Formats: sequence, structure tokens, C-alpha cells
Amino acid sequence: MNENEKDVKIENEDELFVPITQDMIQSEKIIAPRYSYWKSVFRIFFKKKINIFLIAVFVLIFLVAFIVPIFAPYNYKENVTILSSQNLDPVQALKFFSDKPECGPSIKWILGTGPYGNSIFYGIISSARTSLLLSVICAAINMTIGIILGAVWGYSKKFDSVMLVIYNIIANIPYILLITVLVYVVGAGFWSFIFALTVTGWLSIAYFFRTQVMIIRDREYSLASRCLGTPIPRMVSKNILPFLTSVIVTLLATELPAYISSEVYLSFLGIGLSADVPSLGRMISQAQAAFMVYPWEFWPPVAVAAAITIILYLLGQNLADASDPRTHM
Amino acid sequence: MLRRILFSIFSLLVVVIIVMLLVYSLIDRKVIFQSDDIWNKKYLNDRTAYEYSQYEKFGYMYTANYGSFLKELYADNADYENDPQYIADKNALKKKETYESNASVQKFIETYTEKGYEISYLEPVTYSDGSLKPGGGAALYAIKERFVLSRLWDYIKGFFSVETTNDVKDPNLTERYIRFEDDPYGWFAVVGSGTTHKYLLYFDDRFPFIHQNFIHLNLGVSHTRYRGEEISTVITTPQGEMYKRDVVFPTGLEETETAIDMHSLKYNYNTGNFEKQRFTDNYTTFTYRYNGLSRLENSFVAGFLASILAYLLGLPLGILMARKKDTWVDKLGNVYVIFIMAVPSLAYIFMFAAIGTGVFRLPYLFANAQPKFLGYILPIVSLALPSVGGLMKWMRRYMIDQMNSDYVKFARSQGLSEREIYRTHISRNAMIYIVHGIPGTILGSLTGAIVTERVYGFPGVGNLLTEAITRHDNSIIVAVTVFYTTITIVSIILGDLLLAKYDPRISLSSSKGGGR
Repeated sequence: MNENEKDVKIENEDELFVPITQDMIQSEKIIAPRYSYWKSVFRIFFKKKINIFLIAVFVLIFLVAFIVPIFAPYNYKENVTILSSQNLDPVQALKFFSDKPECGPSIKWILGTGPYGNSIFYGIISSARTSLLLSVICAAINMTIGIILGAVWGYSKKFDSVMLVIYNIIANIPYILLITVLVYVVGAGFWSFIFALTVTGWLSIAYFFRTQVMIIRDREYSLASRCLGTPIPRMVSKNILPFLTSVIVTLLATELPAYISSEVYLSFLGIGLSADVPSLGRMISQAQAAFMVYPWEFWPPVAVAAAITIILYLLGQNLADASDPRTHM
Repeated sequence: MLRRILFSIFSLLVVVIIVMLLVYSLIDRKVIFQSDDIWNKKYLNDRTAYEYSQYEKFGYMYTANYGSFLKELYADNADYENDPQYIADKNALKKKETYESNASVQKFIETYTEKGYEISYLEPVTYSDGSLKPGGGAALYAIKERFVLSRLWDYIKGFFSVETTNDVKDPNLTERYIRFEDDPYGWFAVVGSGTTHKYLLYFDDRFPFIHQNFIHLNLGVSHTRYRGEEISTVITTPQGEMYKRDVVFPTGLEETETAIDMHSLKYNYNTGNFEKQRFTDNYTTFTYRYNGLSRLENSFVAGFLASILAYLLGLPLGILMARKKDTWVDKLGNVYVIFIMAVPSLAYIFMFAAIGTGVFRLPYLFANAQPKFLGYILPIVSLALPSVGGLMKWMRRYMIDQMNSDYVKFARSQGLSEREIYRTHISRNAMIYIVHGIPGTILGSLTGAIVTERVYGFPGVGNLLTEAITRHDNSIIVAVTVFYTTITIVSIILGDLLLAKYDPRISLSSSKGGGR
């Protein structure tokens, strides 16, 4: 390369160590292993075998909930006129319907029948689809609005004082009243229920996020960056948001199951989705009055709701743990 | 602090305005007739007239009726019903031509148009032969919409009412006074004459032992669920079985086995002979006494015991989990926390109910509980166990955060025992975060628990709001909102004060560095 090379004398051909020359250009570069944030997140995430299992179960539930109803549509009034088909336990139901020539033995009746002779099994599958859709859509809307507004809210002091007043007032309006009135105004149905859940739902997320942003905003490195004249969008996107990724994922882990829970809760109170939309909450609230007499109508939807919420919660928590950069050692 | 209280009152008012807008303006007012049998049986003009009277009662509008206007107009004339002029005025509505030409009608229209009312003339509806259709009788109304601000002002104006000696408008009542008297049914009492209640301040054997009737709180009057009752009376009136004992009436008459509450006496304008046998004055309207707790007391007892149970279990368990971090204790605790956090609350309440009734043979419904206290166990447990999960989670988190701080390492290097470090240093610092929520938990039990109370048929206040919403009891919705909001605001202020008391580093004043 250069004349230094000529000065190097090889004294012994068998020597294991070979002197190399100093490269001034190379030594100016910092060499570190390539680090990709999301790659590390998923490396950590998949290290835990339980996560693979949870994902497999979740994908299974997801596929069943979205594919099965296409081939096996659920109609809760299907046998409303056949009085003897109502409230049958699984054994009776299987026997009842396999005796009928037009039905034959079917997996449809494996969980018995409900108050209208409806299939509990198909009902649960269709309801699970509603619940999953509901929680994903609501979480997507509320998280997007909540995080964007929360970031601005935490960053701008003028906006903060206005938003605090609004927050204090709206947080005091009874949640159930607000939902009921909104459902009355826009009419019952899947999309109006989503509207009711998202009209003020983003507010608590934004408030939580505001506090997190404020903590990071006043850290020394942020101050230093601001002194150097970093524009606000760059501050938010490069200095603050990466720090809050694990917070966002933690939020997501609590929000997703929370919408399924609140649908169940509101249906129990008689508010929420209309009768023609199958939902876990509706099935649970219909069966709760006689849950000791007809346990097969009550416990399966409860178990499915619990399973979905627990899986979502655990996956979210584990992903949040993995997305914390401090675990990437 | 003063600024804070003023701001709280301001936000309470705004909340009330928003709630009034929600229930009075956003919901179609026709829904109040959805399950109204009387409305279903009325037709045409009768139905409209009934609607007006209901709208006025529910607080949507003010109405004035031509009939009562006429009666006032002829008030000087004792025998006005036979006065031909009166009859002519009254019948003027029956035809459109006479309606337009009649002087009294024009006066009615003029008076109320001036006050900003709208005139609504319900023309007679007839068959082709001229006879009236059922419900088709003519009527004349003046109506005026109520607006949010005037409604709010009326609400605030009537919020407190004080009893005075001029409450009773009976010319036959000669003596009017308020004085101390010996009370044959208690200890001593402040007794009024001319006031609505006879006993204004009295003692009895019921908690809180001293009761007053001077000042009444008018949160809102129910129209559908508890017909005509004031909501604060509804939630504080004892329920259950009648409290029967022997009573001696002021006249000396004795009655055995009666539940009459002698302290509840109110003025009765039409005191008859039957009442005269028992009482010496006109205060003869009474209510009965009941043995059980009131709705508010029920909810508070259940909620209070549940929160104590939750703190007693949750905090030590959280501390234990933090101390035994990553052992089986911690893992088992985490399983419970995840269960509580993720599973819908409805699901585990029913799970507790099934376990409680199946394994421990506890009564499922409150009404079936014998003896009575057994009915409280399942609701209390169902309220406590979820809070235990929440407290465990946060206490563990805060403890672990504190365990890694420098002062703990320092304390350890100074040779303090682990027990002392955890007891006096870590736990106390971790408690700072918990302390803020304590007033909220305790006061919050006054608002009751919706799902738990429904599942066990528990007679508390939790379902007031949902019941009021489904039955369109508008003033109850407003009343309950005021009640809830006040409790939330007071809890937050008390929490801050308690926090400042517990941790002297925290100052509530906004000036920099002040308040130490």
C-alpha cells in the first residue's frame, strides 16, 4: 500500500503473528456489530418458547373466528320455533339433532343449544370474530389519536393547560351515560358502538402518554438536543418516540383486551351492540340469569373471552418486555 | 387550595351542563313514552295534552293550560262554574271561529306570548257527522322550551331547602314556633310548628343517632323508577323488614307491634277524626321504620369492608412478591395478577359466585341470605379480590423500583438488617404511590358497584344510574352525576392532602420550592 510495507521484514516464516500496518483511514471509523432495533426485539421475543405457543394459539383462534363463519353462518333465531330444541345440554343436543333426518350428527351441537335453540358452538365462533374485530379497530383508532395528541399535549405547554381542563371535565362524565346516549343518538349497531367507544376513549390514552412524554421531554439529552436547534418534529420522532416504544406496546397490551372486557360489561348492562350482531358479551349476559341451570350456555363464552384476553395480554406484555432496549444486551 | 376548590366547582357545573345537554337535548324526548301505558291508551289531542304534561314533569318545557288560566281569571267569583260568561269562554275552544273571536282566549294568548311562550291550539277532531272522535276534544296550551342555562340555574337555586315556620300555608294553624322539647320517643328534640316536619332535630337508636330536618338536599326527583321521591331520600331510607314495637301516641292511645316512626311526622292539611284519636296536633303523616340498612349504607359497608380486606391482603402480598422476586411465590402471584387484569370482570365475579355457592354453601342472592350478614360475604369478596390483584401488581412494581435505589444499597452497607430495610425504608417509600388512592377507594364505595350488585341482587346504590338511564329518569341521571362527580373531586383533593401529609417532600402550593 505504501512505503511502510517495504520496511516490514519477515524474520521467520513460521511465525504465527504477522505484523500489520496501521491504517489511518480505517482507524477513524467506529466498527460495531450492526444493530437493528426490531431484529433484536424479535430475537428476544422468540427466545421465550411460551411466546411461540401463544402466537400459535392466537393465530388458530383468529383463523377459526374469521374463516369458519363463512362456511357455517350463525343465526341465533335458527330454531326459534322448535321449542323442544331450546336449552339442551351437549349430550341432549347432539342426540336431538342427529335424530332429525335433515340435520344428522354435526359438530355444530357439541356445546349444546341456547335459549332459542341456537348453536352455542357456532355462536361463540361468530362472537369471537366480533370481539376481535371490535378490539382491533377500537385500539387502532384510540391508540393513533391518543398517541399523536398525547405527544403534542406533552410537548406544548399552551396546549397542556387547555387540554387539562377538558380532560378534568370529560373524565367526570359517567362513562356509561356517555356510551348510552351516543348509542341512542347514532343508533345501535357495530359501527355506532365503535364510535361510542372511541369518541372519548382516546382521552385517557392521550393523558397517560402526555405524562410519559413530559418525563422524556425534560431529560438532559433532550434539552441538549433542543439547545443545538433540533426542530420539533425531529425531536419528537428521533428523541422521544423511540424511547416510548415499549410504553406504547405496554399500552396496546392493556388496551386490546380492555375493549373485549368492556363489550362484555356493557352488554351485561343492556347497552351496546344490537341483537343481530353476535357477541360474547351478549351471549354471556343472556346466559347469566340461569348460569347454574344451563352452565353449558354460560361458561364456554366466558372461557373464550378469558382465553382471548389473557393471550392478548400476555403477548403484549412479553412484546413490551422485549421492546425495552435495556433487555437487548 | 382555594383556587383548586373553585376550579372543582366550575368543572362540576360544566359536567352538569354537559350531562343536561346529553339527556335533554341529544336523546329524542319521545323515548319517555316508549313503555308508558297511559300514553298508549290516549289518542289525538288527549295524547298531545298528556305529552305536554309529561314533558313539563320531566323538565323539558314549561306549559300553561287555558283551563287553569280561566279559573284564575274568575277566581273572585265563588260560583263561577255557573257563570254564563265563564261557560261561553270555556266553550270558545270548540270552534275555530269562536276561538279566534273570544276575548279571554285572546287575553291568554297575549299574556303568554309576552312571556315568550308559544301558543299551541289543539283543534277539535271530529267525524264527518260532527261528533268528536275519542280523544279529539279541543285544548289550548302555551308552551315554552327550557334551555340548559335556565335549567341549571333552577337546579342550583333549589339545591338546598331550609325548613321555616312559614312552610305550612294553613290559616287554621295559629301557633308558629321552633323550640326545644322533651322527646317521649328519644332524648330531647327541636320541635317546630308551622314547619313541614315536626321533629327538626332528634335522637334515636339508629346510626348516626342524631338526625335533622332543618336542611334538605334536593338532588333530583324521580319520575319513573321511584315515583315522585327525592333521590337523596331514596338512597338513605332504610330497607328490609319493618321495625315493630309498642308505641304510645301523644293522646295516650297505645298500639302494640307497630312500625310507625314517630320522628317522621309531617304536617297533614286534612287531619281527620281517625288521626285525632292518635295525635294532638295536625302533624299526622308518618312513615314506617325498617330494620335493614339503606341503599347508601349497604354499598358503603360492602365497599368499605372490601377495600380494607383488599389493602390488608394486597399490600403484604405485593411486598412478599417483591422480596421473593423470580421465585415460585412471585410467579404464582403474577398468574393471579394477569388473571385479574386480563379476564373480563363479569367472568370472575360469576366464578367467585359459583365457587362461593358451590364450595362454601353461601347464599347466592342477597334476599335469600339467612342470617342477613351471610348475604354480604360474596359481594365483599367479589369486590375485594380484583382490587387485591391491582394492589399486588403496583406494590410489587414500586417495591422493586425502590429496591434498586442507592439509599437501599447504602443502608445495606451500613449493616442494617434486611427486615429493617424492607420495613422502614422500602415499604414506606413504596407506599407513597399507594397512599394517594386510599381516599378514592373508600369514598368510591359510596357510589356502589354496578356488576357486583346486579349479580347478587344486592340492594345498593350501584345501579341507580343504569336504572335511571333505561327508564329515562332524567333528573335522577343529573342527580347521580352530581353525586359521583362530587365524590371524585373530593377524593382527589383528599388524596393530595393525605399524600402531602405522608410525604413531607411533596408540596401542594404551586410556587417554586415553597410549602416546606
